[in-house]
Amino acid sequence: MSFKNKILRALIATVAFATAAATHAAGPELRLDKAPLQFDNASLQHGAKLFINYCLNCHSASYLRYNRLQEIGLSDQQIKDNLLFTADKVGDLMTIGMRPAEAKQWFGAAPPDLTVIARSRASHYGSGADWLYTYLRQFYRDTNRPTGWNNVVFESVGMPHAMWDLQGEQVAHFVEREDGHGGKAKHLERLEIVKAGKMPKEEYDEAVADLVSFITWMGEPSQHNRKQIGGWVLAVLAVLGVLTYLLKRSIWKDLH
Amino acid sequence: MQKQAQQLLDWVDARFPLTFLWESQWGKYVAPKNFNFWYIFGSLAMLVLVIQIVTGIFLVMHYKPDASLNAAGVPVAFASVEYIMRDVPGGWIIRYLHSTGASAFFVVVYLHMFRGLMYGSYRKPRELVWLFGVAIFLCLMAEAFFGYLLPWGQMSFWGAQVIVNLFGAIPLIGEPLSIMIRGDYVVSDATLNRFFSFHVIAIPLVLIGLVAAHLTALHEVGSNNPDGVEIKKQPKDANGIPLDGIYSHPYYTIKDIFGAVVFLFVFAAVVFFMPEGGGYFLEFNNFIPADPLKTPPHIAPVWYFTPYYSILRATTSDFMLWLGIFVLVVGGLSVFSLRHQLAKLAAAGVTAVLLVAFYFLDAKFWGVVLMGVSVLLFALLPWLDRSPVKSIRYKGGLYKGILAVFVVCFVVLGYLGILPPTPVGTIVSQICSILYLGFFAFMPWYTAMDKTQPEPERVTWQ
Amino acid sequence: MSDAKLDATSEHTGCACSLDASRRNLIAATAAVGGAAGLGAAVPFVASFTPSERAKAAGAPVEVDIGGMQPGELKTVEWRGKPVWILRRTPEMLASLKKTDDLVADPESLRSDQPAYVKGEARAIKDEYLVCVGICTHLGCSPTAKMALGSESGISDSWQGGFLCPCHGSLFDLAGRVYKSMPAPDNLPVPPHTYLSDTRLLIGEDGKEA
Repeated sequence: MSFKNKILRALIATVAFATAAATHAAGPELRLDKAPLQFDNASLQHGAKLFINYCLNCHSASYLRYNRLQEIGLSDQQIKDNLLFTADKVGDLMTIGMRPAEAKQWFGAAPPDLTVIARSRASHYGSGADWLYTYLRQFYRDTNRPTGWNNVVFESVGMPHAMWDLQGEQVAHFVEREDGHGGKAKHLERLEIVKAGKMPKEEYDEAVADLVSFITWMGEPSQHNRKQIGGWVLAVLAVLGVLTYLLKRSIWKDLH
Repeated sequence: MQKQAQQLLDWVDARFPLTFLWESQWGKYVAPKNFNFWYIFGSLAMLVLVIQIVTGIFLVMHYKPDASLNAAGVPVAFASVEYIMRDVPGGWIIRYLHSTGASAFFVVVYLHMFRGLMYGSYRKPRELVWLFGVAIFLCLMAEAFFGYLLPWGQMSFWGAQVIVNLFGAIPLIGEPLSIMIRGDYVVSDATLNRFFSFHVIAIPLVLIGLVAAHLTALHEVGSNNPDGVEIKKQPKDANGIPLDGIYSHPYYTIKDIFGAVVFLFVFAAVVFFMPEGGGYFLEFNNFIPADPLKTPPHIAPVWYFTPYYSILRATTSDFMLWLGIFVLVVGGLSVFSLRHQLAKLAAAGVTAVLLVAFYFLDAKFWGVVLMGVSVLLFALLPWLDRSPVKSIRYKGGLYKGILAVFVVCFVVLGYLGILPPTPVGTIVSQICSILYLGFFAFMPWYTAMDKTQPEPERVTWQ
Repeated sequence: MSDAKLDATSEHTGCACSLDASRRNLIAATAAVGGAAGLGAAVPFVASFTPSERAKAAGAPVEVDIGGMQPGELKTVEWRGKPVWILRRTPEMLASLKKTDDLVADPESLRSDQPAYVKGEARAIKDEYLVCVGICTHLGCSPTAKMALGSESGISDSWQGGFLCPCHGSLFDLAGRVYKSMPAPDNLPVPPHTYLSDTRLLIGEDGKEA
């Protein structure tokens, strides 16, 4: 027993050492706010509306069909009447008119398709939703950028602040701090709203939370369904596990 | 009714050895009765193979290996995966089963291999069982590598780019060889299509053949067990069956079914509740379509390759000196302990050639070699282990300690492989790489020195 | 237990000699739950054979503008990948259906595939417009229109206009009804359709009255 303990201790010590060694040199810290996601239909519908009005002009969601929005409580007729701008059928994909090659000329980089953006933006700093929630709230005025906008979590971002009319205009105050390697690093001290938008801060945060909830839903529309089915699968397997265990014990008791 | 069934069976048996195959391969295959928890992983590997083949067949019905861009500007292959995830009824379940199955395969196979290490399953007379197993492991790595390109995400693309470029490190033929593997100057549509072909038909065919060989060889020589004693050498009962042997059916049938259900419970928990496996089973960056002009800031292979990837990265030019010393020590020991004059000469020759080659060829090449060698070294185990006993139960503290160090090194290498390289991380992985190689290279000596306990006559059984 | 004392032989053969009631029940229960689980596991695989959302979207009902159609004009639109014919019939064409009544195999379309709201020899909601799937009920070729009358058509001197399947020669009249003793068994199918307005036709969906 004591030998096994020794092995275990050695293992833990080594892994701890390796972890310490490795995390030491990880890149600049990315501080993300936890996204207060809400997956009720009202929030998702609000998010869908914001998405279609503010994002779908330049970004596509080309793996998602409009009629999938039935799953967040919209009828085909509602989709047709309120949301269908660029397509003619509710079964169509959420593509946009802009061609990728042209878009690349205008923005320097083609605006990425957003269908699975929430899944791709996950990292050890936080979920993809956290990243998006922080990103969409941390645009600030920067006259050095061609668009006049910059972003705290996505430096030198190519996209201008699409929802500035809602949030207003922010400026960022940075402080320089020692980075521990003899150099200096810029740290965000605070963001200040210098020109008010249509929404007060809390309302804007809520709107972004709804938008990010929708984008998260869109990344994997079957996620709710998946967990539901998963519960049943595990329940059946648990029952089967008990039965096969009893049967195994029953058959093996003949052996001696 | 029963009589008619028997007649039908007789009719078949007269024309095809159905009953014979069933009885020799499973029904009346006599296995030791003292299998423990560790003996489930072989059956589980078979189960995962079936899951992968079945889900794979269905995925091929909807997936398109096409790197060209669709109207929305997304590669067709990438879009077809999302098509499966969204538009195909039941598609997401099938895809998650397959993507989780890939990781599950390696979990199960690594544990299966560790079982072999613990109980000496590779020792005589099971050398061929073991060699077929190593070949299966190689095939599995190839299969996983080819398959990982298919979603055509950023990790798919850059992972393939890096691995194919490894072949470029081979002197003289490297560059033309890597171009030939890709069928292009970069990883492209041609590469995607040939990898698809390898993944769905070429490698699986070989894999199934090897699995059949692995099982046939096993059922020929008989299974090892946690005590490492041969039940075939024991006294037999009136029917000629070893006293510690039992028929696989029904005993191991029901035990394996129970084990399979437990496995499926864990497997389903991942599939339905965390299919991304925290970014280790489905990497986050792979949700971005492949972009040949932009490498993601940090790329790492999928977790099951990272131990070997770490060994590759650890092989820097500084490391070559240590590797040289290591080879010199192993070579010297060999020359000293080999009995035949010719063998001594051969060992000295190989050592000298290696040292000269270390000096003249750059570290990049040796990293690739070392990575390959560290996988292939498993094949030599039957001839490296000199212990008088098979099972860890009767081996001494020396072997147990060294095996523990080996496992720790393997885990640490795997862990470091998923992180970006750091100076300290590189040193740690260099130490671990040397220890990993040492486990194999010094095995003939430490297994001979190890103080073992005598094996029992019969298997341990409560 | 009566069979607690097993000899070595039965131990190895794992024979049915100790198949007592409780074990038999356990085996039955395990097989039942296991079988149910297996069936459940087959569901996504079987489901994946059914049309995907893309196929459904592509097969969605099609709206057609029939405002500009001339009398006697034949228009072909695609619905679910199949040609659907819209024929604006002249009064003469409609009258010809009376003459072909005796020549066709199923004049009242009793055994043919059509919605309940399409009846009689004209097989249409509005007699003027024939809407039918242009796929021969024999082996799936698409018949060609033969609108020339009599000997000019090259079919027969009494030909009233209709359709000829190029594959095996089945003949259909101007209501898509198959002539007697032809390879094709049934009349051309009429798809579900409805008029959104006088000039807008929706193919692939039944109207509200249906």
